[in-house]
Order: sequence, then C-alpha cells, then structure tokens
Amino acid sequence: MSIIPDSTAAAGAGGDPSGPAAGGPAAVEFIDVHKAFGANKILRGLNLGLPEGKISMILGPSGTGKSVCIKHMVGLLYPDRGDVLVHGQSVPNMADDELLRMRQKFGVLFQDGALFGSMNVFDNTCFPLRQHTEKSEEEIGEIVSHRLAEVGLSDAHDKMPNELSGGMRKRAGFARALVLDPDIVLFDEPDSGLDPVRTALLGELIQEIHAEMMGEAQRRGTPPPAFTLITHDIMTARRVAEHISVLWKGQIVESGPAEQLFDSDNQFVRQFLAGESAGPLGME
Amino acid sequence: MVRNVADRAFLPAKNLLEEIGDMLILTGRTIASALRPPYSYGGEFVNQFLFALKLCWFPLLISTIAFGYGAPGLQAANFLVLFGALDRLGGFFVLAVIREFAPFVTAIVLAGVAGTAITADLGARKIREELDALQVLGVDTVKSLVVPRFLALMLVTGLFNIYALIFGVVSGVLATVVNGGTIGAFQATFFTGASLTDLWGSMLKTTLFGAIIAIVCCYKGMSASGGAEGVGRAVNQAVVIAFLGIFAFNYVFTQTLLATNPELANLR
Repeated sequence: MSIIPDSTAAAGAGGDPSGPAAGGPAAVEFIDVHKAFGANKILRGLNLGLPEGKISMILGPSGTGKSVCIKHMVGLLYPDRGDVLVHGQSVPNMADDELLRMRQKFGVLFQDGALFGSMNVFDNTCFPLRQHTEKSEEEIGEIVSHRLAEVGLSDAHDKMPNELSGGMRKRAGFARALVLDPDIVLFDEPDSGLDPVRTALLGELIQEIHAEMMGEAQRRGTPPPAFTLITHDIMTARRVAEHISVLWKGQIVESGPAEQLFDSDNQFVRQFLAGESAGPLGME
Repeated sequence: MVRNVADRAFLPAKNLLEEIGDMLILTGRTIASALRPPYSYGGEFVNQFLFALKLCWFPLLISTIAFGYGAPGLQAANFLVLFGALDRLGGFFVLAVIREFAPFVTAIVLAGVAGTAITADLGARKIREELDALQVLGVDTVKSLVVPRFLALMLVTGLFNIYALIFGVVSGVLATVVNGGTIGAFQATFFTGASLTDLWGSMLKTTLFGAIIAIVCCYKGMSASGGAEGVGRAVNQAVVIAFLGIFAFNYVFTQTLLATNPELANLR
C-alpha cells in the first residue's frame, strides 16, 4: 500500500495544503502540479501552499523534486499540468514582461550563492538595486552595506566570489536576495556544504532577518514576508521551521505547523523526521 | 519491448529535432529582442566584439596564409604550371578564396576560438546557477547575454572575412612568385574574374556564418547540464553543430547565389 496519500487525503492529514488552513493566506500555491523530464516523473500531482508571514520548509529525500518546486515558483520551469499561483496570480500564464516583474517579489538564495563571477561582493549585492530601482549610488551603498553587515560580510566588500568560502558565498547570496525587500524569500538547501555550527548560525540569521522583515512589513502595511527553505536537514527544520511540508515521490505526504508534523503518525514522516533507517524510505 | 525499440530508434532523432527547433526559436527571440527597446546591450556588445577580435586575429592570420598558400596556392599552381597557365591562378583565387576558403576559414576559426569560449563561459555560468540568478533578478538573459554575442559575432566574422580575403590573396601571390610567375599576371586574371557580387556574397555569407555560430554556441552554453563534464560536452557539441550548420547553410547559400547570378558560373 502506498504511504503517499492522494491530494484529498493529504489535505485531511495536514490541513488543506494549498489553502488558508496552512496558517494564513498562501504566498505560493501549487495546484495538482505534474512535471516530468523525459520518462522521469518528478512532480506527480503536487498540492502545496506556502503561508505568508512564516518560515516554512519543504523537506524530503534527495531527488524528490524540491529544487524543481523552487524553479516552478519563479517561472524558470513550467508545469506539464496543473497551476502555480504567486499571490493568486498564475505563473505559467504570465507574459514574459509580467513574469520579469513578478520575479521582483522573490529573493532566491541558490545552493552555492550563484554570485556573478565577474563582480565583487559589493557589486553583486548592488545588482538588483541598480537593475530595478532609480536609487542613487549613495542610497544603494547604504542599503547594501547594511545588508552585508547583517550577514557578517562588512569586510568582504571588495572580495571576488572565487576568494570566498562556501559559507561566505551563501551569506553574500543571502544579502543579495534581501536587498529589494522581497515578499517571498526562497532558500535552496542553505545548509549544503556547511559544517553544523555554520548551519546553525545561518539558521539563526534567517530567523533574525525574518523577524526584522515582519516588523518592517507591519509598519509599512505590506504583505508579511514568506521565507521558504528547501532542505533535507532535520536539525535545521527543528530549529528554524514554523511550517513544514514533507515531499516524497513528487507529492506532499503531510503539511502543517512544525509541531504537528513532528508529532505525526504518518510512517514516512516519522521515519524521515527522526532520521531512522527502518521505515518506508529505503535506498531505492 | 516494441516501445523500447521505438524509443531507441526515434528518441535521438526527436531530441535532435527539438534542439534545432529550440535554436530557431532562440534566433527569433534574439532578433526580436535586439530590435525592441531598451537597447541596454551596448556595453556587452563592445566587450564581446573586442574579446573575439583579441582572441581570433592571430589564429586567423596563420590559418588564412597557411591554408591559402598550401591548398589552393601550391596545388593549383602545380597543376597550372603543367599547362603553362600559371597566370590563371589569380582567376582561380577569386573562386577559391573569395567565394569559399576565406569565409570557411574565418567561420572555422571563429567557431573554434570565440564560439567555444562563449559556450564554455555561458555553460560555466549555467552550472553555477548564475543564469538562473539573473533570470530571478528580473534580467532578460536573451537581451543581456545572447543579443550582444549574436551581434558582435556577426560583425566580427564579417569584418574578419575582409582580413581573411587580404591574407588569402597574399598567399596566392606568394604561390605565384614561388612558382616563377609574375604578380602582374596574377593581378590581371584576379581582377578580370572578380565581381562585386563575389565580394558582397562572401561578406553576407560570412556574416550569417557568424549568426549561426553565435546562436549554436549560446544555446549549447545556456542549456549545459551535468557539472564540469557537462560544460565540456556542450563545448564539443557546439563546435560540431556549428560546423554542420555552416556547411549546410553554405550549400543553400551557394546554390541560391549561383541560381540568381548565373554569370558567376563563368570563370574568366
């Protein structure tokens, strides 16, 4: 018998994953999304909602389609079937210009930071502001210095990406993802390649910045920021996540508040969150 | 079983057709993007133009002289000497160098030197997720990356054709002198045979070779996958596909040019 419930059962197990029951209005929604690369089916009817104002986490084993989810959210990939909504707008149906504008709502931290190799850290972080705003160089400099200080890179303004360690590249990528004050920040495996201490520090940094951005959003009356981390690191999930969705074989197994997921009765969720070898997930 | 056999037989053909389709779409998007404001690609266009110029001028100099002197120069001169008609080498060089060898050598050097550099650069950026980051930051990668390379390679290939023509003809003069002929005789048959159609045909063809190289190399770079090995594979495929595209396009172009300008078929 399959451990993965169908979309109706998933909704029953963890609340409606695509709706407000996930903890408020959803910043991003996946509705019955299917995606295959050749014969390899990655997403098989994915229903998922990422709530506004929370640090949510998509957890799942390697190769289960987590990074593919991020690419669907920002329109780098399109579903074969189904829909992806960002603040209620369908991403696959957007025209190119609309898509480019929509992407400004996002800040994305890629796995290795994805810094531009031809620019130093300061220029990398300035890039979104120079590209999308009319701010003066002085204003841009202030914003960028503030963000770089937040991630502990005040002394690395002039360093080129190839002079940085993996952790520094991630932090610089994080600063760049934040400079436009995005509504949705996506982190693609922020813990990969980092030692446990650096991972914990990065987790704390994510929490601090989320809290700070929540305060700012409240003052400005803008939508509360949705932070979404994609990972398979359980320690990070325990420390940081407020909302968890567990993905396996291209579907959501269970989705809901973090505490609820850590007390789940679902065999797969229990095995995965406990990091046990016995259970439905094998080496295959 | 039947499905497996069908997949093995038709999947490569399907993939090839899909790639050709994608490259044609990229060509359309590049032209549309180049014509539509804003024209923000000027700086990158100049950088790419100078980059190709710097990389290619010396290999092209050596290639055109060596190739022109060795293949049409010495071979044709040896043959013409048998008939005491070495003065006809100039006329032959119109056919050999202006119409075919200069555009080919230029395209091969540009594809091998600048084209591979473009594929490797874009491929490495793709693998490091820089291209995804650019798109997520709201940058149109076709306008910012493909358009400047497309225009720069077209222009530089066209201009390099003049350079290749000059050195190609110099190699013909050299072959004439080495075989005991006179420069005047070479010059006389060369200018009797040459026409303006030969020149603009050569320039147009080479410029379009540049467009093919740019599209193929950008496409293969931007669709690279599979780490460093994937970039290497993309570079290799880019060169092979660019050469095939150039040869195939040359056939169509030559047929069209000869059909629309029948006077070119008469060697004077």
